[in-house]
Amino acid sequence: MPHLAVNDLRAKYGALEVLKGVSFSMEKGQVVALVGPSGSGKSTVLRTLVGLTPVSGGSVTIHGDEIRYSNAASVRRARDQMAIVFQQYNLFQNMRIIDNVTVAPTKIKKRPKAEARADAERLLAMVGLADKLNAFPDQLSGGQQQRVAIARALALHPEILLLDEVTSALDPELVNEVLDTIRRLATEGMTMILVSHEMAFVREVADKVIFMDSGAVVEEGLPEQLFDAPKTDRAREFFGKILRH
Amino acid sequence: MDYNFQYGVVWDNFGALMEGAWLTFQLGVFAFAGGVLIGLLGASIKTYGPWPLRFLVDCYVVFITNTPALIQIYFLYFGLPELGVRWSNETCVLIGLVLNAGAYLTMILRAGFLSVRKTELEAGQTLGFSLVQQIRYIVVPHIAKTVYPALANFFIVVLVMGTSIGALIGVDDLTGQAINLSSINYRWLEYFSVVAVIYVVLTFVASIGLALLGRWAFRVRARIF
Ligand SMILES: Nc1ncnc2c1ncn2[C@@H]1O[C@H](COP(=O)(O)OP(=O)(O)OP(=O)(O)O)[C@@H](O)[C@H]1O
Ligand SMILES: [Mg+2]
Repeated sequence: MPHLAVNDLRAKYGALEVLKGVSFSMEKGQVVALVGPSGSGKSTVLRTLVGLTPVSGGSVTIHGDEIRYSNAASVRRARDQMAIVFQQYNLFQNMRIIDNVTVAPTKIKKRPKAEARADAERLLAMVGLADKLNAFPDQLSGGQQQRVAIARALALHPEILLLDEVTSALDPELVNEVLDTIRRLATEGMTMILVSHEMAFVREVADKVIFMDSGAVVEEGLPEQLFDAPKTDRAREFFGKILRH
Repeated sequence: MDYNFQYGVVWDNFGALMEGAWLTFQLGVFAFAGGVLIGLLGASIKTYGPWPLRFLVDCYVVFITNTPALIQIYFLYFGLPELGVRWSNETCVLIGLVLNAGAYLTMILRAGFLSVRKTELEAGQTLGFSLVQQIRYIVVPHIAKTVYPALANFFIVVLVMGTSIGALIGVDDLTGQAINLSSINYRWLEYFSVVAVIYVVLTFVASIGLALLGRWAFRVRARIF
């Protein structure tokens, strides 16, 4: 049984159908990359998975359990299992770094303060920010904030981490520190869905690449397959364009 | 110019002035607190409410902010008894100031509501925050931080300008006491110079207190002067 199975997932913004039946599945410990042109629906896939964008059809199952997005308890369970990191990191500006990471474990999961704090310190050390515990988000660089956002997502011990273009808002010299963190999570066996335009990085860490266009999956396969020998014209055109430079 | 300043009579009645100052302070605090409650309600409606309610809030704000507070308080004190509603002068001042402050605070707090970033709320949502938890941990701290300096300034306005209107309908606040006492022995200059100093001390203490509170609670660097 796959860890996560998405079947014929549909979503709309008003009358505009943005996801027109997206299907894919992944195993535990895999890294899946969602790639495709701007507006193809990659972010929307991640947002529907965590219940931020309403689902209008299809199904999502984790370990065979279907998530019912119309049911608050079911959505809560889904959010326990999946954590999302956004392009713009979205840290809580009014909280110190340590509090950004501990607020959900202590206030929502009711974990003991000391335990949550120790956990947060470990995670922040892992992303290389052990010395910033008491800083506020606006005192950190974009790359540092993005690493805090990753630590914050990991603090709830999700089974699947969703990363939406986490490096595309960063200056080029800050990209690598964030990629290093993701690389490390991948080697530790973290299950991840990663939306990215960093094709070299995708080739390096992804076990599977899913190419989307206009709200549907056009082709999926191993990175080498898709990048070097795409089967569909649409994929050939897309990868030809972006891999050439 | 050979006016003979005699502060002795002021010192003799200093206790009464301090009682007035205490009443001024209480009126200021309660008017402000009531105004904040109305302001929160008004700003929530303006931000999240349906249009008929939003329209009502707009009418309230336009009506109150475009008429003098003195007229509003006179209306309560002299107007309402004609309709059979009779409140004490202190009640009228307090209610008038609350309604007045509520309108201004609706506008101030509305700016705070608009400053809450939707993306931060979404982050909270995906971390499992309920609506109440989002408001408590994300919305309110944001509003507090954004509008704190404006709130602190407005408190001073209520404390000094708002409360003193009460003197005109016989409330014994600091201004009222000064008018009462000086009309007994005509030491206007002495009384009002001392009262001015008391007002300055009062606002100075309040400003420092508010600045420290803001720095401690909301990381706001409010100016003290
Ligand atoms: N809040 C919204 N309201 C209306 N339409 C939206 C909204 N968000 C996204 N869309 C539309 O949905 C489609 C898919 O958007 P989505 O953000 O999922 O694309 P994407 O693949 O992530 O693109 P990008 O690479 O630019 O991030 C686009 O056509 C977009 O215009
Ligand atoms: Mg996107």
